[in-house]
Amino acid sequence: MTAQIEIRNVDKHYGSFHALKNIDLVIEKGSFVALVGPSGCGKSTLLRAIAGLESISSGELRIAGESMTGVPPRRRDVAMVFQSYALYPHMTVEENLTYSLRLHGVGKAEARQKAAEVAATTGLSLLLGRYPRQLSGGQRQRVAMGRAIIRNPKAFLFDEPLSNLDAALRVQMRKEIRALHDRLGATSVYVTHDQIEAMTMADWVVVMRDGVIEQQGRPLDLYDRPVNRFVAGFIGSPAMNFLPARMAEDGKAILLDGSGGERIALARPAEPGRAVVAGMRPEHLRIAPGDSNFHFTVGAVESTGSATYLSSDDGALQLVQSDRTDLNPGDRVGLEIDPAHVHLFDPETGTSI
Amino acid sequence: MSRFFNSLRDGVGFDLLLVGAAMLFLIALAGAPLIYNVLMSFQQVDMFTLGALMRPFVGFDNYVAVVRQPEFWLVTRNTLIFVVGSMTGQFVLGFALALFFAQKFPGAATIRGLFLVSWVMPGLVVGAIWSWILAGDFGVLNVILRSLGLIQSNIFWKSDPNFSIWAVIIANIWLGLAFNMLLLSVGLAAIPRDLYEAAELDGANAFQRFWTITLPMMRSTIGAVLSLGLIGTLQQFDLFPALTEGGPANTSNVAGYWSWQLSFQLYDFAKGATVSVMMFLLVLIASVVYVRSTRHEVRG
Amino acid sequence: MTRPYTPWLLVTVALALAAIYLFPLYWMYVTSLKSGSEIFANPPTFWPRSPDPSVYPAVWVRRTMPVYLWNSVVIASGVTAITVILGTGCAYVLARYRNGWIDVGLFCVLMLQVLPASVMITPLFVGFNQVGLLGSPRLAVVLAAAAKAMPFFVVLVRATFMSVPRELEEAALVDGNSRIGAFFFIVLPLARNGILVCAILTFMSAFGEYIYSKSIIQDPGLQPASVGLSGFLGPNSTDWNSIMAYSAIYVTPILAIFVLLQRRIVAGLTSGALK
Repeated sequence: MTAQIEIRNVDKHYGSFHALKNIDLVIEKGSFVALVGPSGCGKSTLLRAIAGLESISSGELRIAGESMTGVPPRRRDVAMVFQSYALYPHMTVEENLTYSLRLHGVGKAEARQKAAEVAATTGLSLLLGRYPRQLSGGQRQRVAMGRAIIRNPKAFLFDEPLSNLDAALRVQMRKEIRALHDRLGATSVYVTHDQIEAMTMADWVVVMRDGVIEQQGRPLDLYDRPVNRFVAGFIGSPAMNFLPARMAEDGKAILLDGSGGERIALARPAEPGRAVVAGMRPEHLRIAPGDSNFHFTVGAVESTGSATYLSSDDGALQLVQSDRTDLNPGDRVGLEIDPAHVHLFDPETGTSI
Repeated sequence: MSRFFNSLRDGVGFDLLLVGAAMLFLIALAGAPLIYNVLMSFQQVDMFTLGALMRPFVGFDNYVAVVRQPEFWLVTRNTLIFVVGSMTGQFVLGFALALFFAQKFPGAATIRGLFLVSWVMPGLVVGAIWSWILAGDFGVLNVILRSLGLIQSNIFWKSDPNFSIWAVIIANIWLGLAFNMLLLSVGLAAIPRDLYEAAELDGANAFQRFWTITLPMMRSTIGAVLSLGLIGTLQQFDLFPALTEGGPANTSNVAGYWSWQLSFQLYDFAKGATVSVMMFLLVLIASVVYVRSTRHEVRG
Repeated sequence: MTRPYTPWLLVTVALALAAIYLFPLYWMYVTSLKSGSEIFANPPTFWPRSPDPSVYPAVWVRRTMPVYLWNSVVIASGVTAITVILGTGCAYVLARYRNGWIDVGLFCVLMLQVLPASVMITPLFVGFNQVGLLGSPRLAVVLAAAAKAMPFFVVLVRATFMSVPRELEEAALVDGNSRIGAFFFIVLPLARNGILVCAILTFMSAFGEYIYSKSIIQDPGLQPASVGLSGFLGPNSTDWNSIMAYSAIYVTPILAIFVLLQRRIVAGLTSGALK
């Protein structure tokens, strides 16, 4: 697989603020890479640095093998879909689509034909004569994408393009964007704060926090094997439960802190006596059919019809199951979990043990 | 009757009172004089009939007499040059400054605000200062131009018939620059930044971005600025008595000042009224353009 | 988008541009402080060799500036008072509603804004003469200048009123106020700052009023400072020392107010001027 975008040792400073810290990332040609993280983690900054809209303080950035140092955005041959779509309000949809072609001297007839093709691909054929203010949010989004597609760029950059749409539309557009990516054989970099979008759309997910890449990998790898507590808590919804605990004397189980002395078996032995943080996903916790060393008192029961959420009375634990339940608040019940699904993290550094 | 007072306190009467008071005042002191002006332009007005309302009706005689005045065509030409010269200078320089101050740097807003000082200064004082700067023998402008090598010998801005109108134009450009810059800055700020970023990614360089994004999106602002500029330039008066008094030999006289001269130096109020009616028609056209330009907003 | 130029370079250029633009003001002060012969030095000096402020008291007395400045204050105050009293209410109503009548009203106000004083002065003078107002010339000037200032004031203050949420007034009405009460106790205090800025702008503008004063006031004891200046200013003036000193005295109070309130003034102008 060839690398389409290479980011090596990239740092970015805004004055005294260190926005990107030693970023190393390779984006393969034809792949769909998602950059996720909380606000201010640097994902948008990194995307804009790829586009050339922000400079990098040090490090190397290559697109299709060529160094981008000193290359202005208009010569990088990348296309960006903005969060606000950035459609030119004084131009029709067709003019918006053909803008970059006209700038490069493409003839009028050829430009119109290309616009017609792209419009057909994105479902805009009937809207070519309209102005952006006459379009709905979803239609504007499609124009923004069409404007990117028509240029046949080396990479597509998406800056939270779906955050201005309502939930149902978002789900539909997710599928359309990914389908378009596959059809075009494009290379896409997609920034979002929504980890569900990242997990469902991407081939490769990069989790960022405070300017650093916490972990990158295939979506399910991040889900199954998070390298630290942050990634474990960020990926997966509802979020992973974290409970302080200590390793048992025999190193084969953990004892949860608190009066109950709850004991949970582990898949692999670890250092005895050590203080740890135990991570367990709500979907992996089950009501124990019989006796158990691990209990909790039900605090709240919420049912959406398709899933039931049970929270503990102290709010520290939550479990989700697809079956209905007879349990009520106040009931004390035993839990079980497959030892392979128990994650351990160091209480101070947060890294996985 | 009590219903009347009630509505004064609580309803439509209150609104009507507030608007009505101002409107009555304006009608009496602005609307009525306008009509009176038109009336006078059709009458014979001299020292004997000055106090009367109904004066001898002379039809279009005043208008004919005004056009026949030897300085009429010169004044018309000067007014045109004055308007075009002032507006071009104010607009181009104002736009350049607005573009410069649209960039982000510390203190941009404050420094830009300093330019507005010209707007609050009395026109006569501005005229006085420029009169000194433009003085032929000892004015500092000539010194600067000579030291830059742009001219060889002093230009007598105020007393040379070829340059006298330009003296007033220069001072007027200084005066009107800030207002143009301010309005254009507001228009520039309304354009979202990511449009420029999108355009740059699409391949546009700085000039192309200005031409295809900035200018089209500023169409209504530019229309407003130009029409307000036209109206403002036609209103300019104070600079003339300070700088050239319309001379030498009317080479820097414009319609506004000429009308005043006719009434208050030659005491020919009929001609003064006539010229100002002609000016008013010009102003009317400009304001119609202004109103139309501010009605159409092109916004996404 | 990152610019290649550092912010400090831009600040320097900005300050340089402002300095060029403000040069005439600087030149006014510098000329007034030079000695009589140094003004005509060739090449001219950009800083007085020995600053001599003695021309200030001389001009103050010789040109009877106290009288002139007092008249300017009287006229400016009168204009501001009338404009604020009549214009505020009008702006309030024009901001409160949006219908055909209001559009007509706004249109009329806008149209009145464009009238040049040189167009108005002839009929105003003749008209004042007929009603005998020329006997109180300063009053006549105040009325004429207020009519000139009011439309712009109404336009700016209307913008201020439009920024006061309608719900506050409606809440006051529901609480038991009459319309008068709601206006005076709720809406007006909230718009106070905007009105104040516009009033100050009106005052500064009327302080420099020239054409009406020159045409209507013959008595030197009643003339404002602008007319006083025109008395010894013209195409053939040579007493630049005094002219600049006079101008400096005349203009410095306005400049001081402007510098203090600059940010508010700019905000007021930008919000209202583009309507």
